[in-house]
Amino acid sequence: MAELNKKKESNPFVTLVWTLGFFIIWEIIAFLVEASPSIRSPEKVLPHFWKIIATAFDSKKINGSETAIQLVWLNAKVTLLRSAQGFFIGASIGFLLAILMSLTNVVKKIAFPYLMIIQMIPILGMAPIILSFTGDIDTSRVVIAAILTFYPVATNTLAGLEAVEKEKHELMYSYAAKKWQLYIKTLIPACIPYLFTGLKVSAPLAITASILVDTLQGGIGLGCLLSQSLKGAMTRYVFWLIVVISAAIGILSYLLMGIIEDLVSSHKKAERACKR
Amino acid sequence: MERKNIKKATFLVFAAMVVLSFSSCSKEESATVTETKEVSTTTTTVSEVKTDKDRILEAAAAGKIGNWGLGNEYEILALLAKYDQPLEFLSQDFTMDGFDDDSIELASAMTYNELGLVKNDYDGAYGYGDSVGYIDMNDEGVAMLEDNLFTTKEFAMANPNTVKAFIYASLKGWADACADPSAAAEVVYKYGSSVSSEHQLYMASEVKKLVETDTLGNPVSNYGYMDDAAIQQTLDLAKTYIQLDDSKAAEKLASLTIDDIRDTSYWVAATESVDGSDLGTPEKTDVKIQLKWLPQSQFMGYYMALDKGYYDEVGLNVTIVPGGGDIAETTAVYNGTVDFGVTWVSNMISANAAGMGLLEVAQIYQRSGLLLVYKK
Amino acid sequence: MKTTKKINLDGISAIMYPLAFGIIVFLMWQGGVLNTLLHTDTNTLPPPSRINSIIFDNTAKILLNLKATIIVALIGLLLGSLIGYGTAIIAAQNKKWGSGGITLASAFNAVPIVALAPVMNNLTKHFSSNVDYRSMLAKTIVVMIVCIASMAVNAYRGLTELKPFAKDLMKTYAASNFTIFKKLLLPNSVPYVFTALRVSLPASIISALVTEYFSEKVIGVGRQIRENIVTAQFATAWAYIIVSCFLGIVLYVILLLVENSVMKNRKIK
Repeated sequence: MAELNKKKESNPFVTLVWTLGFFIIWEIIAFLVEASPSIRSPEKVLPHFWKIIATAFDSKKINGSETAIQLVWLNAKVTLLRSAQGFFIGASIGFLLAILMSLTNVVKKIAFPYLMIIQMIPILGMAPIILSFTGDIDTSRVVIAAILTFYPVATNTLAGLEAVEKEKHELMYSYAAKKWQLYIKTLIPACIPYLFTGLKVSAPLAITASILVDTLQGGIGLGCLLSQSLKGAMTRYVFWLIVVISAAIGILSYLLMGIIEDLVSSHKKAERACKR
Repeated sequence: MERKNIKKATFLVFAAMVVLSFSSCSKEESATVTETKEVSTTTTTVSEVKTDKDRILEAAAAGKIGNWGLGNEYEILALLAKYDQPLEFLSQDFTMDGFDDDSIELASAMTYNELGLVKNDYDGAYGYGDSVGYIDMNDEGVAMLEDNLFTTKEFAMANPNTVKAFIYASLKGWADACADPSAAAEVVYKYGSSVSSEHQLYMASEVKKLVETDTLGNPVSNYGYMDDAAIQQTLDLAKTYIQLDDSKAAEKLASLTIDDIRDTSYWVAATESVDGSDLGTPEKTDVKIQLKWLPQSQFMGYYMALDKGYYDEVGLNVTIVPGGGDIAETTAVYNGTVDFGVTWVSNMISANAAGMGLLEVAQIYQRSGLLLVYKK
Repeated sequence: MKTTKKINLDGISAIMYPLAFGIIVFLMWQGGVLNTLLHTDTNTLPPPSRINSIIFDNTAKILLNLKATIIVALIGLLLGSLIGYGTAIIAAQNKKWGSGGITLASAFNAVPIVALAPVMNNLTKHFSSNVDYRSMLAKTIVVMIVCIASMAVNAYRGLTELKPFAKDLMKTYAASNFTIFKKLLLPNSVPYVFTALRVSLPASIISALVTEYFSEKVIGVGRQIRENIVTAQFATAWAYIIVSCFLGIVLYVILLLVENSVMKNRKIK
């Protein structure tokens, strides 16, 4: 798992410089691509970043009623909603499964290898079965997004539950705490940082997965628009706009999890401070 | 001790990688050598004026014939077989970029879609104008029928009146669309297409030709007519060029006859109807039709019927579901998520070989719209 | 003595329970119970016996496609991991700036593979005129990009989270930077490298399968899965899916074995 949150030295200045550096490199490569005589259509390899942004503000109607950014946003909303649903369901199932696995050794031993294997089945293979089970393509899309997101949550939460020191267990038992009390009072609060590690991995995953799942059938969605922008008659910049926006949404979802984590943990700290 | 083991492990992994990559590279290299040799011999023999045959032989030798694959390739394979060429093609990724940058010499294109993108110069198109030529599958005698209207045998048996009513209203829509393609293009545009209006208009005029002309170039006036000879040719080519790894499906494919894939009775009843009200009460009124591709003029007849209320007139509440993804329309109709579908006859044949029991009830496109386009 | 016995029992049950579960699922699948539970017929989810017969009928073709997939996945994984590790080494030189760079590297994972693949196809056309070579290259680059982030993030932790004063101690011995790296940083990062590989190995296989959908050459297990799904040949598609799962499991087990032996030897020291 990308346990980025372990050490957070988020200096806004550093991040800014890095981001700027990234775009400068992008522009240099784009310039080289443009200058290269063998590349006939540079926008198909790597266009200038500012041109992609310019497309976003272009008032030209792509399909009669919407401009490029309106069209992308319209589709992004649908994908975002689906991935949010899938993420929520997947994360909940992952969390519950982790608790179940920590409760009973048998479930853990049985489930662990199979969770791994499920991750290795290509989406395309699962799709027809899930479609015939749900009978509706949009429900199937949510279900698949959920399947692809629960694994990081489950494994990280389980790691968190298991990391609670034995002494804490014994202390709680010496207080004659019941099992559910043990879970609510010590285990679940203790595994929250691990849970967020999992959530941070699966939030962008839910979004890229939803985009991939969109391509299973036509309709509205970023993935559908992505393939349309390559297949249909529209400028290639729409494609690039989708790439940029989907990456931005993925990064934002990651940051959002960080913000929620900060809120939860600061709340916890305040609580502890009050009790003292 | 510790470092040695790490070293050992990394060394082993490296060695494995190197061996793997070398074994693959050496084979690739040897393939290149033979390829370039073939190119040089053919270029010396090509005369001043190139015929279509020359072009096919040349492109096949260079390994630069493109198609999308995924069940769209059978006509190209039949063409390659006709000229005794190896049955291989490059995968086109649904853009015409490969054609544009010369990595593909003979690129697959539909008359109503990619050909327009190559020739015209609107946004996203390539603007080659008349500097491109094409080889038509109909002229080459390897045409296979494309966009049809199908459902499952089961659905047709259980809901005959729905099927007849749906055909009746749809064909009325197609008649209107072909009478005024530019109006039809606007209707399609209204129903949420992501393709520009110029391209939509181009597409509508080309689709009209496919609906009203048969594989031999003769005009067709009865829309949706199922020509046994053309279906037979499609089935024969499908049996030869659809390669199935599943021996059970392959056996089924070999045993299929045209009676297994189409039923003309519903179409006959629909065309004999005076005003659609004499077709009986539809058993199922809420029906969905899944298109083979994204919403565009390729399917203008259905949008026209929906827009003009022809489906309402026969008592049907129709939803049009766009296609174009990896869950094919055959699968969607088969598992009941939708009731009707538009697909190529060859795709229906392979689905039936897998045991899907699909049934064509009308043949909208009377000739193949597939071309191989080249730069003159 | 007691503990070893317990570990053995644990080890046995860790294999026996999933195996028993697997056998039950297999029997339910073969017997059609699974189909009833999932409301799917035997065309959409064919029984294992049918899938097996397809695998055995087409061994040569499957191996050919499997080879293409393995090459792309493993070379992509290797290159991506090396680049990730290199990024981590550079980033570890200066923690303040380095961690920002690592965050940026992990942002690449937010770009969907479906978007990367067509761009790489167009890019690699300018590198080589040989289709076999460049389509391999395009696929490998995509897999590589997918694998960079997890290695960079984990290796960075391995290179920076040291025992207190370990680095200072090395410096008092006047060890060169290279010696510090060889004797301290590299060994310290090994467990983290394995953590990264355990994430990126399955990811490399899945992304290899997905890039094959869009590649110029019609080859690879992923491409075969797509061809067969789209043309409604689910039984054949399942044969390739089983093969790809099997590949994933075998490579993962190999990775675990290598990890175990490496880590064990570290402890013996």
